[in-house]
Amino acid sequence: MNENRWSTGESCVSWEDAEILYSESFRIVGDDFEHGGEAAAKIKAKLKQFGLDAAIIRRLSIANFEAEMNVIMYAREAEMQLQVLPNAVRVILSDRGQGIPDIEQALQEGYSTATPQMRQRGFGAGLGLPNIKRNTDEFEIVSTPGVGTTLRYTIHLQN
Amino acid sequence: MMVAREPSILFDPARCVGCVACSQVCPTKAIRVAAGCAVVKPELCIDCDACIRACRYDAVQARLSSPADLARFKYKVAIPSMTLYAQFGRDIHPSQVLHGLTRLGFDRAYDMSWMNEMVAGAIDASFSEMEGPWPKISVTCPAIVRLVQVRYPDLLANLVQIETPRELAAKVLRRRVAAEQHLDPQDIGIFFITPCTAIMNSIVAPVGLEQSNLDGAFAISEICGPLQKAMKLGGAEERDDQISRAGIRWAMSGGELMGMRNTNTMSVHSLRDVQYVFDHLEAGKFQSVDLIEAYICPDGCISGGLTIEGRYAAGRNLQHIGRRLGTQSLIKEEKVRSLMREHFFDLEEEIKARAVRPVAQDLRRAIALERERQELLARLPGKDCAACGAPDCATLVEDTLRNEANIDDCIFLRLARCEEAAAKRGEGSP
Repeated sequence: MNENRWSTGESCVSWEDAEILYSESFRIVGDDFEHGGEAAAKIKAKLKQFGLDAAIIRRLSIANFEAEMNVIMYAREAEMQLQVLPNAVRVILSDRGQGIPDIEQALQEGYSTATPQMRQRGFGAGLGLPNIKRNTDEFEIVSTPGVGTTLRYTIHLQN
Repeated sequence: MMVAREPSILFDPARCVGCVACSQVCPTKAIRVAAGCAVVKPELCIDCDACIRACRYDAVQARLSSPADLARFKYKVAIPSMTLYAQFGRDIHPSQVLHGLTRLGFDRAYDMSWMNEMVAGAIDASFSEMEGPWPKISVTCPAIVRLVQVRYPDLLANLVQIETPRELAAKVLRRRVAAEQHLDPQDIGIFFITPCTAIMNSIVAPVGLEQSNLDGAFAISEICGPLQKAMKLGGAEERDDQISRAGIRWAMSGGELMGMRNTNTMSVHSLRDVQYVFDHLEAGKFQSVDLIEAYICPDGCISGGLTIEGRYAAGRNLQHIGRRLGTQSLIKEEKVRSLMREHFFDLEEEIKARAVRPVAQDLRRAIALERERQELLARLPGKDCAACGAPDCATLVEDTLRNEANIDDCIFLRLARCEEAAAKRGEGSP
């Protein structure tokens, strides 16, 4: 399996050791434009209830929305998992789908593989992954063409 | 300083049957039904009038000014919302309405459509100097401002920092009347004739300015009957030719945007749509829009909760009245710019969040509470019947966590316990 891997940002929490205070998963279905953005909205509502800083919620919501719409446009289905750690919030999004053949290219602003139909819906500006990168402190993409993609992004909480 | 808000609505216990129609439509879950009568939590209420529309028993009363408030002043001035002009069919002139008001205890009534046009010009002209975040959100609708304060504090920085036309008109008119009538400004009472309950709290507990320039408000629905009779008496042959067509359109959705020449605008109305757009704004969408005109009522002010004429008829009336006013602009751009330089239009104070007290302060406690919340919610039937007094199961859980209610207020839980007890006694269910 030729797995593509890309990551940025310095981890502030060791992945294995971090205590997960809260985790919840949301299912996203490909092509389901009708419910597009709902997982992001539910996560936002939950984080508001936890009393997290508004700026952090805003950044994560932007990343979540972009990631969710990517699944709806390109993948068959995915699970979006929210994890709240003592000093970070993290989202792990694993999809079953076509995968990303060239991650560096997909991360370039303006690069898009959106179809004319997607563009008609107002998507396909080529800002999805760059927007996730811009709004998170850690971002990792692992993708296997033909199998699927896993995004993992984290925002640090200032204590 | 933030003035304590009082609820802008009151429930009449003699009329309220405790039917929960209001509590279930309330967007901020501010209404509870206790002992057969609804009560409102003022810290949550955004004055959207949804409950007034939903009530079938006419039990929701707007808390507005009384004749006694009027009597406190030597000289009484009315400034009607543009919506008042739309209540009397298509063939009236605003001057008739203004003259009619002087037969109802006001010494003088002034049109403020020209100020709407001025403010539109000021917003349009100031765009080049405004800084992000974008898009900007209009502050004309006080319920929208409150919605942002309570539910969307992230968007406070998006609010347009320009005062509303009604406040500015009252400010200008107080000076003018004081000079013309040789009166102490404090002896002049300026009252807004309002289509909605939201105005009252914008006067009693204003945001964006220290003290409101208005002294109170009367409901269009209360004033309409007597005013119609007064208008029939005539006496308004002299027509005010200083009424702005562009200005009177502010009562309708989209009206505020008509005067915008340099900006990319969007009009959003009705609570559900506003929430949809604000949710998306929080997620960083609609970045290409410069200005959003947002109204909590389904069609702008003409559909306010305290109006008589239906919104479709009112919209047609207003358009017809406007057409007969002619298209000329009453406002000189240079005048607007010179007032801008004097900071005439600027908000005096920063608009601050009105956060509802969080249940927990620290993250661990909040997450523990969330678990408790989910456990409690799982015990409830999820029917959202509102029989417990809270509008839905989730709110009963919330109230329970705040020690303001008890999960056992749920009639389904009670019933289950009764049946259990009966089974223990060996009687079985009847």
